Order: sequence, then C-alpha cells, then structure tokens
Amino acid sequence: MQFDPMSPIWLQVMTALKTDIAVGKRLPGEKLPGGRDLALAFSINPNTAARVYQELEKEGLCETRRGMGTYVTGDADRIAAVRWEMARQAAERFLSTMDTLGVSRQEAARLILKEDV
Amino acid sequence: MLESKSVTKMFGTLAAVDHISLSLEKGHVYAMLGPNGSGKTTWMKMAAGLIKPTSGQILFQGQPVNIESRKHIAYMSTEPYFYSWMTVKDVGKYYADFFDDFSYDSYLDLLRQMELTEEMKTSTLSSGMMAKLKIAVTIARDAQVYMLDEPFNGIDLLARDEMRRCILQYATEEKLLLVSSHLVEEMEAVADRAVFIQKGKLVENVDLEEMRTEMGVSMADRYRQIYGHTEE
Amino acid sequence: MLKLMKYEFRKTLVTKLILLGITAAVEIGYLISLYTEAKTALTVCIVLLTLLAVGGVMMMGLGSVLTLHRDMNTKQSYMLFMTPNSCHRILGAKVLENGLSILTAGAFYFALGALDITLLFWRSNAINEIWDFVQQFIHSMNDQIRLDTAGFAAFIFSLLAGWIMTVTLAYLADVVSAALLNGKKHNGLLSFALFLVLSWLIGWLTGMTTAGIADYNLKLVVRGAVNLVLAGIMYEITAQIMERKLSV
Repeated sequence: MQFDPMSPIWLQVMTALKTDIAVGKRLPGEKLPGGRDLALAFSINPNTAARVYQELEKEGLCETRRGMGTYVTGDADRIAAVRWEMARQAAERFLSTMDTLGVSRQEAARLILKEDV
Repeated sequence: MLESKSVTKMFGTLAAVDHISLSLEKGHVYAMLGPNGSGKTTWMKMAAGLIKPTSGQILFQGQPVNIESRKHIAYMSTEPYFYSWMTVKDVGKYYADFFDDFSYDSYLDLLRQMELTEEMKTSTLSSGMMAKLKIAVTIARDAQVYMLDEPFNGIDLLARDEMRRCILQYATEEKLLLVSSHLVEEMEAVADRAVFIQKGKLVENVDLEEMRTEMGVSMADRYRQIYGHTEE
Repeated sequence: MLKLMKYEFRKTLVTKLILLGITAAVEIGYLISLYTEAKTALTVCIVLLTLLAVGGVMMMGLGSVLTLHRDMNTKQSYMLFMTPNSCHRILGAKVLENGLSILTAGAFYFALGALDITLLFWRSNAINEIWDFVQQFIHSMNDQIRLDTAGFAAFIFSLLAGWIMTVTLAYLADVVSAALLNGKKHNGLLSFALFLVLSWLIGWLTGMTTAGIADYNLKLVVRGAVNLVLAGIMYEITAQIMERKLSV
C-alpha cells in the first residue's frame, strides 16, 4: 500500500480496514491480524498498527478479547452505519470539489448518473 | 533507555556533535535524520562506545556507556568493517564468539532471506550484498538497542522493502531502534519518531503521526523545511 | 581472552605461513646441498636460514604492530572495539599472542638450528675444526661468551625478551599516536621520538639493573626477565591510555 505521508498513516490503514469491513471483505466476528502482523503486512511501525486497532475499537468496528486478539465486531447494524457514513463522507468530498469547480448540484447529479451533460 | 546528556564531540576545532541532549525510549523506532556530516554517525559511535565524547555523556539504562552496554547495544556502521579474510560464515562465528545474544540460527535464517550463502567471501561482495550482510549479522543479535547507520545505502528498491520488513520484525515493545538514513522516504512509515540533527545540534525529536496530524506535513516535508534553505 | 587471541593469531596467520613456507623451502635446499655436499649452496642456505630466523622473528613483531595500527586506524577497528571487551583484554590478547608467537618462533628456529648443526657434524668431520675455530674467535672477542647450549639459550631468551619489550613499546607509541596525538601536527614524528627516547631509557635501565651480575649467562637471563617486566609495565600504561582516550 502506498501512503500519503502528509496525513497520519494510522488513519490511512484504518480507512483501508474500515473499507474491507464495510464491504464484507472481512466478515463480522472474523479475527483480524495481530498488531505485529498488521505492521508487517502494511510495512508500518508497530505503534502505528496498535493505534489503528485503538481507533477502530473507538468506532465500535472491532473488539479486542484479552489474550485472543482483535475481532471484527459482530454488530451488523454498526457495520452498515459505518459503511453509510463512509459513503456520505465521500459524497461530501465530491460535492465540495464540485462547488469549487462551480458545478451545480443538478449538473453533478447528472455526472453521477452518467448522463451526458 | 538511551540518554544523551549535553554530549559534545570536537574534531580539532570543529564540533561534530554540539551539546546534544536527547532521551530515547524503548518501544520506538527512531529515524535519525540530517544531511551528511550533521553528526548522526558520530553520535551513534559515541553511543556504541567506539568514540569518547569530548564532554557530556551518554547513558544506557542510567549508566554511562561502557563495555557492559556493548553487550546490549547492537551497532551497525555505514562502512563495511569485516576483516578482509572473512567469509560470511566467519562473520557469523565472530559475532557468536563475542556476543552472547547472537543467534546463529537467526543469522542463517536472515542469510536465506537475503539470498546470501555462508561460503561467500566478504572481500568480493557487492555493496548491496555487503549492506544485507551487515544488517543480517547485526539483527541476529537479540539486543535491547539497535543502531543502524544508513542501512539503505547501496541497495536496490526491492532489497529496501526487505530491509524495512527486517527492521519491523525486530521492532518490539522491549526494543529501541535507531535508524539513520538520508533516504528519508524509506523511513516514513517505519519510524514513529524522528530525531532531526543539524550541524551537530539537535533540532527536534518528534512524534511523526502527531506531526502529520498537527502540521499536515510528512517527515520528508519537515526535512525539507529544516534543511532546505541551508545545506543540500 | 582466548577468543580474542584466536583472532589475533588469525590476523597474523598469513605472515606466519609465508615465513614457514620460505623456511621450509630453504631447509629443503639445505638438506639437499648437505646430502650432495654442494658447499656453496650449503653456505648460502646457512646464511639464509640464519637471516630467516632473525628476520622472521622481527617480522612477526613488526606485523603485530601493523595489525594494532590497522585495528585502531581503519574501519576494521569497529570489529574489535564494538565487542564487549575492555582495552586491557584487547591489548592483552595482542601482547600475549605476539609474545607467545615470538617465543614459539624462537624455539622453533632454535630447534631447527640445533638439528641442522647436528646433521652438519654428522655429515662432515671437517666442520668440527671450523666450529672450534669459530668458538676460539668469539672467545677472543669476549671471553665471557660461551658457545654451549645453555649460553646460547640464555642469549636467545634475552634477545627474544628484548624484542617483545620493543614491540610492546611500539604498541605504546602507536597508541599514543592514535589516542593522544590524533589530528595533531607531526603526530608520526612525535610518537617515533617517544619510541626512541623510551627505548634508550629502557636500554639504560636494563643495563643498570644487570651491571652487578658477573655471570654472563645469568646476566642475559636477568636482562631478559627485566625486559619482560618492563613489557608488562608498558602494556599497563598503553591499556590505560586506550581505556581513557582512544576513539576509533
């Protein structure tokens, strides 16, 4: 994975994992790699990897069972909510770019629906 | 774990290291950054006990570095330093002879990973293979502190990935890794803290993720900010 | 300590093997010319073997000084000084390895010489007359020198001990140069001057301590022993300087 070194790396790895969970690449209740393995898999610092799990836990997307490791949450509603939240954020980013370009909402909608403008 | 107390090293009238005070804790990977000649190597050699400070001192677990600390601090210099008659096997045996924390099995393992064989002669190794051998023999020690001076020098892109993996494998909560490199990008995701040194003086010792969050800059950006308008 | 000595031995192995190889070649030449009674060749071989014995022992000492120099002034210094060994041990291994090597080489050449001379007598009786003449000649020069085995052994011991002391002194000068005068002007010249002054001083000292001894063999042995003690003192001073001041 190529990182954008200007923004926190834990955030980028977290987003990657969140996406995996949201789209079901990683299933509810599935065991996630240990912190060290995550660090090796992404070639990131182990402290950064630990931070990723801390933040995922804060968002209720995974849970750490003592001595057993970290698991994807079994809460399907929570996952659905996170997926929707990610989509909403992406849409906001898109709209903000459209605003900058002076593209109206109607024009933007036609772009999304792939109708010829 | 490793503490530098106002350490100065003069070479003639030139201060290679100029009153550096610095505290390095275990559980971190520090990138030690600065242009060539900024004093990184000199500081590391002092921490390794190879060079004696002109003033100030470096403490390892509260004690000034000495013969005892060499048992727990593994230092890898930039320059090749093996005896010219040595084969890769001889190098491993030498470390096994002098370092109780050296594991020949780990060494063999690392040699395999790095595609080196025991029969190779150190005098005929390419610079890339020499760089790999140096790191293999250094991290085959189960030390508490690893100081790697420019481990990415002279090796190609793929080998750098391998090198990063190696460094990460050994970065546990109990260990302290200090890696100097002028290839700043290589250390971006591997290090969690950066120590910037300029003209023998400490500029800052920062948490990288904090820096990215608060200043929105990468380690490389910060490097350019600090050194861009002066040298290099 | 043994491990350090092992590597000191390994570092100087090539010099030793070359010496041994040349000695073996000349010795074979000696034996062949002795067998074929080729007198000129025999003389040449005797001269060569004598030179090899003296030069070889000297070379081993010089080689060990060079090794110390490299161990302090090149990148290979890290190899030695990053190990958890004190300078006392590092230098001690060098002094001991070198001392033992020189004594072993001395004993080796002494034994070889004894063997060759025995063979020479056994081969030709005419040599006996020459030998007597040589002995008389030396006696006329200095009536205290006895050319018997004991006298010869005492002489060799004193010579070797003197050489070990000289090599240790060279260590000291080299360490002073690397640790104290490093980067200063006329560094090499100053340390060489120190070496000469100390050599002279020690020569004078050993001369003083053995002045009262009448027996020539005893005098030689005592002189050798004094030299070894002085080598020990030089070693301690050198190690102290390294411990405190040496940066590699």
